[in-house]
Amino acid sequence: MQEFVTIGTNVTRTHVRDKAIGAAIYTDDIRLPGMLHGRLLRSPYAHARILHIDTTKAKALPGVKGVITSEDIPRIKFGNWRLFPDTQDEYVLAVDKVRFIGDEVAAVVAIDRDTAEEALSLIKVEYEELPASFDIDTSIREGAPVIHEAFPNNISIHRKVSHGDVEKAFAESDYVREDVFHVHAISGAYLEPCASVAQCDYSGKITLWTSTQVPYIVQCLLATTLGMRENDVRVIKPHVGGGFGAKMELRKWDFCAAFMAKKLGKPVKFTLSREEEFETGRRRHPMRIYSKIGFTKDGMLTAKDLQIYLDGGAYNAMGPTATFLCGNYGLMLYRYKSYRFHGQHVYTNKPPASAIRGFGSPQSTFCTETQMNMAAEELGIDPLDLRLRNAVHEGDVIPELSKIGSCGFAECLEKVAEASQFRKKRKNPKKGRGIGIGCYSFISGGVFNWFNTQYPFSAAEVRVFADGTAHLLTMASDIGQGSDTVLPQILAEELGLKMEDIRVTSADTAMTPQADLGSWGSRVTLMAGNAVIDAAKKIKEKLFGAVTAHFNLNVIHDLECKNGKVYSKGRPDKGLTFGEAVALAQKFQRGEPLVERGSYTPRGKGLVTPAFSFGAQVAEVEVDKDTGLVEVKKMYTAHDCGTVLHPQSVEGQLEGSIQMSLGYALSEQFVLEGGKTLSTTFLDYKMPSAMDMPESESICVDTYEVEGPLGAKEAGEGLVSPTAPAIADAVYDATGYRCYDLPITPDKVLKGKTKL
Amino acid sequence: MSLTKFDYYAPERVEDACRLLMEKGEGAMVMAGGTDLLIKIQRGLLKTQTLIDLQKIESIHDITFDKDKGLSIGAMARLNDVANHPVIKEKFPAVSEAALATANVQIRNMGTVVGNLCNAAPSADNAPVLMAMGAVVNLVRSNGERQIPLEAFFQGPGLTVIQKGEIVTSVFVPTPPAGSGASYQHISARGKVDISAVCVGVMLTMKGKTCQTARIVLGAVAPVPMRALRAEKVIEGNPISKEVLEKAGIEASKECKPISDLRAAAEYRKILVGVLTARAVNEAAKRASKKPN
Amino acid sequence: MKQLVTLNVNGNTYSLAIDPWRTLNEVLREDLNLTGTKLGCGDGDCGACTVLVNGRSVSSCLTLAVAVQGKEITTVEGLAQSGEKLHPIQEAFIEHGAIQCGFCTAGMEMSALNLLKQNPSPTEEEIRTAIAGNLCRCTGYYKIVEAIGDAAKKMKV
Repeated sequence: MQEFVTIGTNVTRTHVRDKAIGAAIYTDDIRLPGMLHGRLLRSPYAHARILHIDTTKAKALPGVKGVITSEDIPRIKFGNWRLFPDTQDEYVLAVDKVRFIGDEVAAVVAIDRDTAEEALSLIKVEYEELPASFDIDTSIREGAPVIHEAFPNNISIHRKVSHGDVEKAFAESDYVREDVFHVHAISGAYLEPCASVAQCDYSGKITLWTSTQVPYIVQCLLATTLGMRENDVRVIKPHVGGGFGAKMELRKWDFCAAFMAKKLGKPVKFTLSREEEFETGRRRHPMRIYSKIGFTKDGMLTAKDLQIYLDGGAYNAMGPTATFLCGNYGLMLYRYKSYRFHGQHVYTNKPPASAIRGFGSPQSTFCTETQMNMAAEELGIDPLDLRLRNAVHEGDVIPELSKIGSCGFAECLEKVAEASQFRKKRKNPKKGRGIGIGCYSFISGGVFNWFNTQYPFSAAEVRVFADGTAHLLTMASDIGQGSDTVLPQILAEELGLKMEDIRVTSADTAMTPQADLGSWGSRVTLMAGNAVIDAAKKIKEKLFGAVTAHFNLNVIHDLECKNGKVYSKGRPDKGLTFGEAVALAQKFQRGEPLVERGSYTPRGKGLVTPAFSFGAQVAEVEVDKDTGLVEVKKMYTAHDCGTVLHPQSVEGQLEGSIQMSLGYALSEQFVLEGGKTLSTTFLDYKMPSAMDMPESESICVDTYEVEGPLGAKEAGEGLVSPTAPAIADAVYDATGYRCYDLPITPDKVLKGKTKL
Repeated sequence: MSLTKFDYYAPERVEDACRLLMEKGEGAMVMAGGTDLLIKIQRGLLKTQTLIDLQKIESIHDITFDKDKGLSIGAMARLNDVANHPVIKEKFPAVSEAALATANVQIRNMGTVVGNLCNAAPSADNAPVLMAMGAVVNLVRSNGERQIPLEAFFQGPGLTVIQKGEIVTSVFVPTPPAGSGASYQHISARGKVDISAVCVGVMLTMKGKTCQTARIVLGAVAPVPMRALRAEKVIEGNPISKEVLEKAGIEASKECKPISDLRAAAEYRKILVGVLTARAVNEAAKRASKKPN
Repeated sequence: MKQLVTLNVNGNTYSLAIDPWRTLNEVLREDLNLTGTKLGCGDGDCGACTVLVNGRSVSSCLTLAVAVQGKEITTVEGLAQSGEKLHPIQEAFIEHGAIQCGFCTAGMEMSALNLLKQNPSPTEEEIRTAIAGNLCRCTGYYKIVEAIGDAAKKMKV
């Protein structure tokens, strides 16, 4: 294993100083001369035909500069799954029909926000209401309202994978159980509401600043929907106040800002309100999960039959990926000798679900882990032992899907058990207290090119200078997770520089190398990190050549960049400072600057991901016997994320995931009535506050992932998955109530408890 | 999000505020902390043409205590001022606790106890204890003033007896008799900082181990904070035993009339009423026993 | 009808003509270009817009700008003494990794300041209560709580 200088240390994160003093610019902070303000008119109906739109009065309102409906813009459908155009089911502004309460119908741009808002109320839309469906059952029923004509049965995606003879395996199993779980929608609930600012220059080229995780995807889809060329659209990601998956698409306001900026010749800003975010924003897929698993009498898994319906809401959004992934996650953690998965993505007349941290994993893992806990009890095997017997290990193959590289799962189980004294506490229950366990495995980015990018999955450009500094350019998007820290940190390690020697430019499609698919699926550290290393290696080759020539070294000398120097490992006295080496190499190129490109595209890595991470989590809870209120007292986590590049950031991700998953398990949910979201404020969409948080103790299990940059892989996203099943198991331990439908609300606990 | 348009006045005397209220007619409203009012205006739930800010009226900022009479909380006394007031913490701990249970720090720095009452949410944190303690609301108009028991103040969600041109200038809490104790209990099903799904205020007077008088007020389970009269009867004349607590809880649970909303189901609210009533009575009795008569 | 208003923000005096229905948050961000104060919800629930008025934390989204005339307003931009010398709260947030996306940061720091002014040695529970009106989706609050505890120590030195 390598010894690191910068990697593994808590270098001060890039941008935190700007954020601490209030100087970091987020999209809504941008103010351009002459800037206009836009607002969107949204459908008040869950499903309706648009008969007529009259914008006359709105246009006549003083201060209004423009009003658009689908009549005024190119009618081009878009969606992230470009590889399969059938899945692209959204228009920018509704054509003929609206499909959920909040569906965008028109946009107004005016001299200020108040005027734009007032103009919205002057647009008259005549609707003919249609029957609507708000749940999976209604949508898949014979004669259900058809939400998209192209999919008369309302199922937009089927995903099937299988291996072995599942029926035979069940028949030969000693113990088989079948369960159905229901999991609900939650919001990403990033603190920064979505915003975009667009500007158009006199040649008609557009610059868009937007709160996004995917500047490249936005650039491509914006160009397509505007009918422009990609290079005529520049997308810049300013600081982003969190995304959690919900900012990974081209959004309607991006288009409207750009279209109106071009049409009016003035910069245009759209900023969503929190109410809009909650009422219409992307959310985690609710799912109905049927799962059947078989075991031998000594607890060895024989087969799994997993059938999942995803409640996708009115449009596909990132639903196709979630449909694929919830199946993969159901098959990742344990050795399933045979399996069958069928995922179906169902349209309903609700705000579209999409990617929210975990991307199908929290749902699927809740089912997997709860069933493991139930099976353990019925088989009379300790839940840890049952997992250890079936756990995947390094080198395992998930048949038909993938091969597992580094794997510290078994060690995670042992470590978390030890730290939490799980076995002892489970055997000696205390009244009102419970302890439970959940585990996860997660991806380090996907390998499936659904966006059909024509570029590498990630890219980096490194420029080095004679003054001993470097400039890293990458389209990777820091949305708070810290890629603007970790990527230069990797470069610093590779080039033997200090963090302060490196300038970072990121996430500007006109300035940073093509391309990067964005920040989602925990892909950035591994993919962009590898791209950085690739570029750094090419730079180093040039520096090593220069140093070799300068000292007339034998070509067999091994050289390295460390502590600001470039030298022979065997003869450290034969070396130059980094800046001298750069100056020399530049001379060799007759002044051409030293610039290198690096890239990463996963090839030959199966169908899922280049690398898997793992972890196990134990929850301790206290349940109030009178009120049914669950208080999570402590979370213990052991996880395997490969090399820990920046310990503070890894901890931060882990701790943040506890907050989000605690909410998923206990308090967060969208309450809907006839397709209308009632939880439209932070007062009623209840995410945990500082007062609600449990204690946390965590352990990083040491592994080295050869596919990852300097041994690193995913950290922090997969951790949203084990928390809910661990808490549910602890609640069961305390009360006898077994949760089949999240969230675990106190009234369910009181109704379901068999002891306490 | 922007607010609908209104004119703004910040008079320095109560009589000027009353006069403005009358002059400006419909659409004129008074504002204390504004934390509820501005949200209502923003959502279009209130149509306001004139906003009369009370903050410059110095006399109504005060919190005063006269040990023979009681505690007076001025209309502009902020929730945090009430929660942290040394005399209130010592002599009216439940009043302080209710103020502290209201919303978060920032809102408590802005909002007022009187504003919380005037907003008349069924779940208003400050109403149950104050009602249980026999608080009286002081209403002033241009040509006079009147005192209304808090119990008669509420008329429905968002509705009170305040008449056109009237301003609540303070709420008065009589000094509790010797041998008395009060408690405030509240709960949310969704986290520690939340609108209460149920809240309960109780004041008891005890003689030895026996309860002489009980006032139990339930919040968030009816259109207005309500007395649990039957539960009170269960307790009065009895020692505070486990059985009595349980019975009082059952009675309170039976007599409340909660609705289901996105914060909690009616059925669950009834359960909470039982639990919190017992807890509040128990704590009030304990506090009473520390101040024997 | 616009009113002439004099605002004292971070020790600077600004004279403005503003509509009475405009919030302090809007005026800070739009008229004074002090965009360090964020708007996360507009309902006083998330705390991203927290500023101090006469030393006490308030939600600037629920404060009318006309109502804070003559009062001392402190925003995140007023915390640091200079470009080089940050406030101990800011230093502690940076050192402890209490900042991820940064959107809640300004509000968190202002709530921390509100707490530490009144209570120079808070317990962990007091810190948690003090920031209960400031939501964060990134950190789980752990490092923020640590940072505020450490800032308390730094401020005593």
